[in-house]
Amino acid sequence: MKLWFTAALIALAGAVRAEVLLSADEIEQTLSFGPWPPSFHSDPSNRVSNNARAIALGEALFNDPVLSVDGAFSCASCHDPEQAFTTPEARALGRVLLDRNTPSLQNLAGLRWYGWGGKSDNLWAASLHPIIEEQEMAHNADSLKTAISESTYIDEFEVLFGDIQVQDSELVLVNIAKTLSAYLETLATDQTQFDAFRDALENQDLAAAVSYPEAAQRGLQLFIGRGNCVLCHNGPRFSNNEFHDAGVPYFLNETEVDEGRFGGLNFLLSSPYTLDGNWNDDPNRQGAWAVRNVRRNHSDFGTFRTPSLRGVSETAPYMHNGSLSDLNAVIRHYSKIDTERLHADGEAILSELNLSEQEIADLVAFLVTLSKELY
Amino acid sequence: MIRCAVWCMIWSSTAFACDVTGQRMNSEVQNAPEVYLSVDEIPLAQPFSVLVSICSETAVGQMGVDAIMPAHRHGLNYTPKVTALGGGAFRVDDMLFHMPGLWELQVNVDINGQSIFYSSEITLK
Repeated sequence: MKLWFTAALIALAGAVRAEVLLSADEIEQTLSFGPWPPSFHSDPSNRVSNNARAIALGEALFNDPVLSVDGAFSCASCHDPEQAFTTPEARALGRVLLDRNTPSLQNLAGLRWYGWGGKSDNLWAASLHPIIEEQEMAHNADSLKTAISESTYIDEFEVLFGDIQVQDSELVLVNIAKTLSAYLETLATDQTQFDAFRDALENQDLAAAVSYPEAAQRGLQLFIGRGNCVLCHNGPRFSNNEFHDAGVPYFLNETEVDEGRFGGLNFLLSSPYTLDGNWNDDPNRQGAWAVRNVRRNHSDFGTFRTPSLRGVSETAPYMHNGSLSDLNAVIRHYSKIDTERLHADGEAILSELNLSEQEIADLVAFLVTLSKELY
Repeated sequence: MIRCAVWCMIWSSTAFACDVTGQRMNSEVQNAPEVYLSVDEIPLAQPFSVLVSICSETAVGQMGVDAIMPAHRHGLNYTPKVTALGGGAFRVDDMLFHMPGLWELQVNVDINGQSIFYSSEITLK
């Protein structure tokens, strides 16, 4: 960081100590959570990324049950646009009760991994898998090609991709997934009360900065300090997009477990739909380094992708299995975490925080400022 | 967000003249050739590259790179890609530090048939 900027931060903290609670170092850390929103970059692996026709077709398909084999439900049935692209059930209900909580679909553009177990390294693959998953949309490539051929979307599809009849069914499947991806990458959360605070600090706009609630500031101090939340929830998305053991039980029943990242990697490394595969439209294979170089460890078992905290107060319940009903419960989980549940050979990050009631309330006050409701 | 890395130097250099820049890496092997690490900025949770320069009069064989967070008891999630540039220099790509905190970057170099271990501490804010 340049000297003049560091000096400005120190001066800022000193000048407004009575109103802005953060130290110069805390202000510097706070700046790392922005700016928001990030600049948009087209996905080179998807030739219809940022294409207006593809975005429109993707949105229409997302909301249409044509993507399920029997027309039973659409993507939006579980990823409800009116509910931050999730639903309030603890675990998703497809054709059966699924094992995991439905993740929100906002702010997905440009991630390294997708899904709780990271079984996809790109957004079009993450869009493709539910279409052919037996417990979800249950199409196969042939049935999907027939459904699209007979739908009202055939003309738009052929404008984008050409004559469907000369396309192999798998190509149709990938093309449909790429239109969904083109739509999904447009879903981004807006600036929040936190971002206004963060930008005010950057601009040294003290009048604006001091309007951020003191409870939220204290919560932010815990978040980046004693709470160690920032170890995993960092950067503008409040996620390092990697995989961790959060001390949440991963037993599905007496005999089955959710393998988490371990299973996600097994799936990923046998998938033809990765950035290192032939369906990638990018001749430079940008981003494929991750799937080529990712390490497999036994400690991946039962770890799950760090969720973004953007819009977090709109996406209850929480954790990979939706077992915690609200943000208060999440904070209490980490405050009194049962370290016996953590992997014996896993990372040593979490320990009991023993937060006071005031500290729990402050952390919740901070987290809700990452969502739009209070803005 | 690009973050600044704070480099912790272990000791200063002398011995075999070597026209390189960067931070000298630590080794417990007596009279081990000097090894230097060069990196501009380390982005948190994003891939970055480093340059490792080995100041040895004798031929340098293979080099391996890894890193750990000693306090967190974990290492890298990705295997870095090492490319020999000749003259004892190696480019290391696809390094990724996925957490802030103290990392120990580790290098194993084959020199004269002996594998020599080097390390440097890096604090990523």
